[in-house]
Amino acid sequence: MNEKVLTQNFGLDHLFRIEVYLEQGGYRAAKKALTEWKPEQVLEEVKKASLRGRGGAGFSAGLKWGFVPKKTDKPKYLCVNADEGEPGTFKDRYILSHNPHLLIEGIVIASYAVGIHDAYVYIRGEYEVIALRLEQAIAEAYGQGYLGKNILGSGFDLDLYVHRGAGAYICGEETALLESLEGKRGNPRLKPPFPASVGLFQNPTVINNVETLANVPFIILNGAAWFLAKGLPNDGGTRIFGVSGAVNKPGIYELPVGTSLREIIFTHAGGLKPGRKLKAVIPGGMSSPILKAEEIDIKMDVDSVAAAGSMMGSAAIIVIDDRTPILEVLKKVAKFYAHESCGQCTPCRLGTNWILKIVKRMAEGKGEQGDADSLLRLAANIKGRTLCPMGDAAAMPVFSIAKKFKEELEASLKVKT
Amino acid sequence: MARKEPRTETMEINHRKVSFPEGVTVHRAAELNGVYIPSLCSHKDLSPFGGCRLCMVEIEGMRGYPLSCNTVAQEGMKVLTDTVMLRELRKEILKLILSEHPSSCLVCNERTECQDYQGTIRKAGVTTGCRFCPNDGQCELQDLVEKIGLTEMDYPIYYHGYEPEHDDPFYDRDYNICILCGRCVRMCQEVRGTSVLAFTYRGPRVKIGPAFGRSHTEAGCEFCGACVDVCPTGALADKVSKWDGKPDGCYVSTCPFCAIGCQIELYHKNGRFSKAAANIDPEVNDGQLCVKGRFCLPEVTHHFERAKKPMLQKGNYFREVSWAEALERVAAELKGIQPDEFAMLVSPDLTNESLFAAQKFVRDCLGSRNIDSTARLELGGGLGLWSKLFSLPISIKNIAQADVILAVGLDSRFNFSVVGTKVRKALDRGAKLVTIDPRDSNLARYTDDWLRPLPGREGLLLKFFADSLAGRITDLPWVAEETTVNVPLLERALEILSSSKDLAVIIGPQVFHYDNNEALGDSLMTLAERKNTNFIPLYFGANARGALEMGVFPEIGPGGMSSRGQGIGLEEIVNGSKRLKAIYLVGDIPFFERPDCDFLIVQDIYLPPFKVDAFLPASTFAEAGGTLVNMEGRVQEVVQVENPPEGAVMGFMRPDWRIFADLANSLKGNSMNYKTSQDVLREIRKTVPDFPARLGRKPRRMKAIDHPEIHKPTVGKTSEGDFLLVAEPAGYRHRGIDISSKVGGLGELALEEGFRMHPGDIDSLGLKNGDRIRLSFDNGKVSAGGAVRADVECPRGVIYYTRPVVFGGLKHRRELLPLYILKQNPIRVNVSRIGT
Ligand SMILES: Cc1cc2nc3c(=O)[nH]c(=O)nc-3n(C[C@H](O)[C@H](O)[C@H](O)COP(=O)(O)O)c2cc1C
Ligand code: SF4
Ligand code: SF4
Ligand code: SF4
Ligand code: SF4
Ligand code: FES
Repeated sequence: MNEKVLTQNFGLDHLFRIEVYLEQGGYRAAKKALTEWKPEQVLEEVKKASLRGRGGAGFSAGLKWGFVPKKTDKPKYLCVNADEGEPGTFKDRYILSHNPHLLIEGIVIASYAVGIHDAYVYIRGEYEVIALRLEQAIAEAYGQGYLGKNILGSGFDLDLYVHRGAGAYICGEETALLESLEGKRGNPRLKPPFPASVGLFQNPTVINNVETLANVPFIILNGAAWFLAKGLPNDGGTRIFGVSGAVNKPGIYELPVGTSLREIIFTHAGGLKPGRKLKAVIPGGMSSPILKAEEIDIKMDVDSVAAAGSMMGSAAIIVIDDRTPILEVLKKVAKFYAHESCGQCTPCRLGTNWILKIVKRMAEGKGEQGDADSLLRLAANIKGRTLCPMGDAAAMPVFSIAKKFKEELEASLKVKT
Repeated sequence: MARKEPRTETMEINHRKVSFPEGVTVHRAAELNGVYIPSLCSHKDLSPFGGCRLCMVEIEGMRGYPLSCNTVAQEGMKVLTDTVMLRELRKEILKLILSEHPSSCLVCNERTECQDYQGTIRKAGVTTGCRFCPNDGQCELQDLVEKIGLTEMDYPIYYHGYEPEHDDPFYDRDYNICILCGRCVRMCQEVRGTSVLAFTYRGPRVKIGPAFGRSHTEAGCEFCGACVDVCPTGALADKVSKWDGKPDGCYVSTCPFCAIGCQIELYHKNGRFSKAAANIDPEVNDGQLCVKGRFCLPEVTHHFERAKKPMLQKGNYFREVSWAEALERVAAELKGIQPDEFAMLVSPDLTNESLFAAQKFVRDCLGSRNIDSTARLELGGGLGLWSKLFSLPISIKNIAQADVILAVGLDSRFNFSVVGTKVRKALDRGAKLVTIDPRDSNLARYTDDWLRPLPGREGLLLKFFADSLAGRITDLPWVAEETTVNVPLLERALEILSSSKDLAVIIGPQVFHYDNNEALGDSLMTLAERKNTNFIPLYFGANARGALEMGVFPEIGPGGMSSRGQGIGLEEIVNGSKRLKAIYLVGDIPFFERPDCDFLIVQDIYLPPFKVDAFLPASTFAEAGGTLVNMEGRVQEVVQVENPPEGAVMGFMRPDWRIFADLANSLKGNSMNYKTSQDVLREIRKTVPDFPARLGRKPRRMKAIDHPEIHKPTVGKTSEGDFLLVAEPAGYRHRGIDISSKVGGLGELALEEGFRMHPGDIDSLGLKNGDRIRLSFDNGKVSAGGAVRADVECPRGVIYYTRPVVFGGLKHRRELLPLYILKQNPIRVNVSRIGT
């Protein structure tokens, strides 16, 4: 059985052209939803499908759409998060470059369900060529009546715009994304209010990841039951796992939600190089807590990974083998978050800076006794105490590394002195 | 609009039942009930920020530690603000904050001794600890450390090593001690609408400042000081007073620089006035000021050129003399002349007490009718028109409640800033703004409809709207053609204005200063009949309304009483049509040259730019108490801050009213027996019928005075030329001087210097910014030259310059003298370049 859904036609030449996409049955879902279904029906179906967000937090897409007020005079917006900034994550770029029309179709359906007439794709600044391709696809979709006024004769209007970011990780955080989209500095907003009621330009807004929306057409075509059958009862469908690091075959693997982490690494990604041993895995992008080699017998779905003390995140699996000193990993992590903190709130701005300073001095062989404990304390002081979830994102990997690899970290101090 | 009083709700804070008004945050509810929750980033006028994270609390039923500054208090909530866990958490956060603040002093156990014995080394360029910080002893961060009880730090101090920034006028910035609370940024953006400040860079390198490395001046800073006022640390500090240390105390007083009448806090140290800051006075300015009130008061008071001693011309020498000698000499001169050989000019910046005493001295003591004031020039359109305007309900506060605002010629950056902040408040609440202004302005960017007529035609537009709203017949195409504003824009504006239920009409001073005020006057009278219309007519000369009430004009006596017949006034003195024996200038210097007379007396805070026979040193607002009438008719108090004994060091200045009383005594015995300003006030209450019995600061409507005529246009010769030259009124008068000549920062901004033109026009004439140009008119018979400056806010084809009313300190602007005496405004001129 061919398990692939999102990536099933990625092998086709020129899938990004609308003719090829249409040949493969593209925009049938949009047609079905817009001409045969009421918006509420679409919303119900997506809710039933247990489509969990693919951007990081794993929140149910259907529930999120449901939070947007139905009766309001204000315009509503959809913002598509294509910032793909989480280290280790490289899945959205495949969707965007291989099959942009799938995303556009998902956007059309989601907008229809929520009653949105303006949608924005906020795309990572570095994805220049991909953004061009997306814009071409959007132009094609306008040309053939899948965007614009009165889409497919349904009376539904939707305009879609592409906005390129300028290279800050924090702009992937949904409220910073909104600020940036409004032309301001990408600083996260204080919540409440939440974007569903006060979002882009102060109006109700839905923010979804690229992959999340790319799933929507399949749910419409095949139904929620089919989608759930693909994955788990509380977490439907497939996920695109991006495997990187010390494996033989790094790359993206679309697999059912709930596939075991061991299977992904050792069966699909070809296992480790000969003679190397697995040391640790970061299972959901750099901000998820690290798992030791013995902890990888878990199912990869939002709830199971959380139960194991880590996070499914963006399903970006970073594999670390025994040749990599954990201090090197820690240094990468610390550097990244200190550099990317927006600087608005005390614990994250200063905590990440002190973490970096301590890690740097450890790496330079000037570490002191108790440094690992300091890291633990600093990370604990950040977690849950910041303005936006980036604080947690910075604290969790540091905390888990300092805790699980305390011995190695302390041993490295002794070797040096 | 009737506003609902918020309901009272109850909750539990630390197991105690408390009540609070619906809608406030938990932080505010606690504050109202005397419960302290540490916070550094929240502020009552600003949106919550959530940056410092100190205000976290525990709330039953809520996960984690919600921020009290961003959680709305709800009926029945149970809040804990001071648990062991919270205390620990705050300490940890505070340690982090202090880790990038040169703060060892805060936790040093020598700190008490150090405070006592090492108070002198306060002139470091950078701040390296509390003892070297301008904020020492008056710092929110210090207080907070004390309250949280932090006594040890386990991080080393991370010193950024930023260069302190001294380059902009008025305030210095040392971001080494900034804790990034973001209050300044939000203040600048949310309340001032200026957005000069932003967060720049990211992570640990985040720093406050204008984006893209510009200076504050370049970024459009208004120098309102609102950012300095909300800064919890010493990162932002007034240049003038930063090393004064903790003030001894402060008085709430009234800003003497304009007719808004902002409430200010005057700080003093060792008996000297040191700095002014905004007072949270909900009636007028609500914590906001403009550059004049915020930064210019100390320098005007304590400038080294301040004239502090009585002086007399003795033979060839101008000598310092005692008061007794000066009074005797002046009295002797005055005794010898006939009442109509004498005239006095009084400044509209004087207090009511001084104005009243002045007119009493002239009328009762000297028996003369000849008293006048440049208030007449500031109130363009004539005293009759203004007495009518003052009879309307004027409310600065209520601008914020308007649903439509019509702003004519209003730029609130450096003058009348408080009006600007109210406009912004109204806009935030959804009001619409219609702007009539040929010039761009700080408010034009928020406008819903911006009409840019030819300068001088604003009145016509206003008349068109007034007539249309009153249902009179108007001629739209004609108005469009005359004003060069196109028909759809006019229609849209009319539509917005017609929709208003609560209209505010704000008229900037420029509009009153065109030669032709007829349409303007008509339109205002028409609009006045409309219900729910709030008029804000703006003028310079802080107490011009008081001058009208005190009756310091030949045709107007105290309380607006018609005074018998005509006297000799400003116009006769300026044009020299009647030669007087003695002229007495009380803070009113409307000349560059000495007016022709035998004996010239000047009573002021600075020496005038010409030779005088007797100089009498007057006290400033800070040295003499008194009252001022603001544009709304509020009688507000100016508080005496300094009261030094007369002497060689502190000077011999006396309040103006006292000098008149002294002179009266020398002349006639005790006809003006005033010991304190209260004595004068008592007599004002008796003589001026509408003057309030108590200083309740209530807005009042004045009785319109009928007899003075509304000025008819003085039609000058029309002239030909490629450019339209517009005279703008000067905004920086105080008594006889232009304060830009005394206040360094204001001088540096050079807001009113030279000619201002659109850069495109400068280019097209082949000129460069700063080149000198000559303007000629009347077929080349008259010309004047000066430097030209590019100003993108000018419309094409128009040149602006400033026409001052008083000339103290403005010697360098003498070259524009031929323009100052022009009757026409605007006037067509030709432009040529001076030199090659
Ligand atoms: C610091 C930070 C960075 C983030 N970056 C991304 C990102 O690059 N792409 C993304 O889709 N979501 C990112 N997220 C998650 C978003 O905030 C948001 O939860 C997501 O876009 C919602 O979409 P979903 O519900 O479809 O997953 C980030 C979150 C944080 C806190
Ligand atoms: S947690 Fe970090 S990224 Fe988020 S607001 Fe605070 S400083 Fe900025
Ligand atoms: S002085 Fe006023 S305008 Fe200038 S930065 Fe501060 S708040 Fe903004
Ligand atoms: S300069 Fe002052 S107000 Fe501005 S962020 Fe720094 S500490 Fe806060
Ligand atoms: S607006 Fe007027 S009263 Fe207020 S501070 Fe400025 S000059 Fe003073
Ligand atoms: S006061 Fe609430 S976070 Fe600073």
